[in-house]
Amino acid sequence: MSTQQSSFEIAGLNWTQIRIPLVLVLLAAIPPLVFHEGATYVSRLFIMALIFATLAMALNIVFGHTDQLFLFMGALTGIGAYTTAITAESLGISPWATLLLGALLAGAIGALVCFVSAKLRFTVILISILTLALQFAIVEFFVGASDLTGGSTGMVFSGLAFESIQESLGIHEHVILYYLVLAILGATIVFYDWMRRSKFGIAFDAIRQDEVAAESVGVNVVRYKTVAGFVSAFIIGLIGPMYAQLEGLIIPGMFQFQVIDVLVLIILIVGGMRTLLGPIVGAGIIIYINEELQAAGQWRMVLFGALLIVLFLYFRQGIVPFARDLLHERIKITERLAREEQT
Amino acid sequence: MVAETLTRIAEFTIDGITQGLVLALLGLGITIVFGLGGVLNLSIGVFAFLGVIVALELLGITGNLLVSAVLAVAIVTLFGLVVDKSLLSLVYRSEGEERILLGIFVTLGLAIFLDGLLFISYPSSYSLSFGIPSTTIAGVQIRGSSIGIILISTVILTALYLFFSRTYLGGATRTVMQDETGAVLCGISPRKMRTFVFALSVAIAAIAGILYSTTQSVYAATGFELTILALIVSIVGGVTSIVGAVVAGLALGIIATFTSAYVGAYVAEIALFAVAVIALLLQPEEIA
Repeated sequence: MSTQQSSFEIAGLNWTQIRIPLVLVLLAAIPPLVFHEGATYVSRLFIMALIFATLAMALNIVFGHTDQLFLFMGALTGIGAYTTAITAESLGISPWATLLLGALLAGAIGALVCFVSAKLRFTVILISILTLALQFAIVEFFVGASDLTGGSTGMVFSGLAFESIQESLGIHEHVILYYLVLAILGATIVFYDWMRRSKFGIAFDAIRQDEVAAESVGVNVVRYKTVAGFVSAFIIGLIGPMYAQLEGLIIPGMFQFQVIDVLVLIILIVGGMRTLLGPIVGAGIIIYINEELQAAGQWRMVLFGALLIVLFLYFRQGIVPFARDLLHERIKITERLAREEQT
Repeated sequence: MVAETLTRIAEFTIDGITQGLVLALLGLGITIVFGLGGVLNLSIGVFAFLGVIVALELLGITGNLLVSAVLAVAIVTLFGLVVDKSLLSLVYRSEGEERILLGIFVTLGLAIFLDGLLFISYPSSYSLSFGIPSTTIAGVQIRGSSIGIILISTVILTALYLFFSRTYLGGATRTVMQDETGAVLCGISPRKMRTFVFALSVAIAAIAGILYSTTQSVYAATGFELTILALIVSIVGGVTSIVGAVVAGLALGIIATFTSAYVGAYVAEIALFAVAVIALLLQPEEIA
């Protein structure tokens, strides 16, 4: 049921085939329509939503499909950002050149964690404890190794801008950053869609349903879990510098569990696990709510805590699967009515 | 010179034991609930902080620390009972892996919820004091708070040990931990035992929080840090072993104190996580 595709048609077009281009085109249309001169507040919000959609997409792969609960997404984002910034600065080159370095290091850590956990047959609870411990250790390192990271005062970061394009086209840096993050999100979506329909998808389903049975029919569980860990951590590590670029700085506080992981978890659950569009829908809704709650100030965390509890107890299904089921039901009813009319 | 070094080592050891006993209590709180109900209580540190806050509020009314502390533990335990009857009842409806995941997320949500709530009303840092003066034995200076913590937690840990090994209720608890079906056949209700043990763990957490606040000031974020420490202790101790949690707490307390003194505070924190990771890698089959 997990790879169940919606096969209904919209205006003669197959929804499954057109949804990815459609969503990307819609997202690409946002800056010219919504970004206004001087209104960096709104543009920042949209970039934030794309960043968190990508993070949720990454969690969807590793947690949704292989049951490995990563609770150190904040730390991986930080590793991506710090590695890119520090290596670029010490080598005296542009962060563009070191962008992949941060992502690769994050990916390697994700792969290592998954490899070890899969080899030792960790349950979901153990891998969540392991990654949670790593999250705190790594953020502690960001704060403590102040010679390298600038400690809790952090470092300024703005190396991922295209000043020449900005000036020649006369556009705001947020527009460029938006399309940059959209490119990463788009690549992630396309990759995810391909992965799910390839042998990976079948192997992931088999592993999730019964690991022992999957192994007995020749699925290399350790390898598939490790690959999932690498891919997810790589994407998270790649988004890290974008997040830093948006904030204009890198401080340990940005990568805390309460700041990143909690939000990404809620986004994935709200949107719907193991769905293509769930992370995007979830990110849109939750980033909006999060922003509205800024007005509630200190009550924000209280409300988020309550939301997490309610969502998990009563709405683990997610919005996208919920809407899909609803739509399918309507289509079925319409079809039946049409058939009854004929007879 | 040598005598001076020995004195310092003795002082650090006492500090380590003091910290370790508090950690042992917290780890025990995680261990008994996870062992019995399969719920990893990620809100345990917030209960500890709650204990400190309630005790402080009561201190303003009663003026007596002992009375306030006992009342605070009772109040926080009652609150724990409410959580068990409401939220955890919903968690226990599901089974196996799903219950474990649900337990993680619901207690995480609760921790964030309470953390936020406490931060609004109590944004600064707080500490309590036993009012015991420091004493010097054979040149080794012992803080008053250390004396208080060592005395109180030893009494509590001994009481818990006797409870689990000597009483019928304690035996029943261990039976459910080891074999749920067998326990049901013996006429023990696992749900009632779980309620009892959750309340017990919350009481232990509140006590640990109050003890911790006599050595250093605590603030809202301390709650989550204590949860992580409790998790580490619980993992190193083997997650379902009560004695293991106590030994692990003591060992980690001593490791943390010495690393902090000789290498640096942030390295000490990372050392704790490293020990936890190594423990996870070495003994996974014993855990869940």
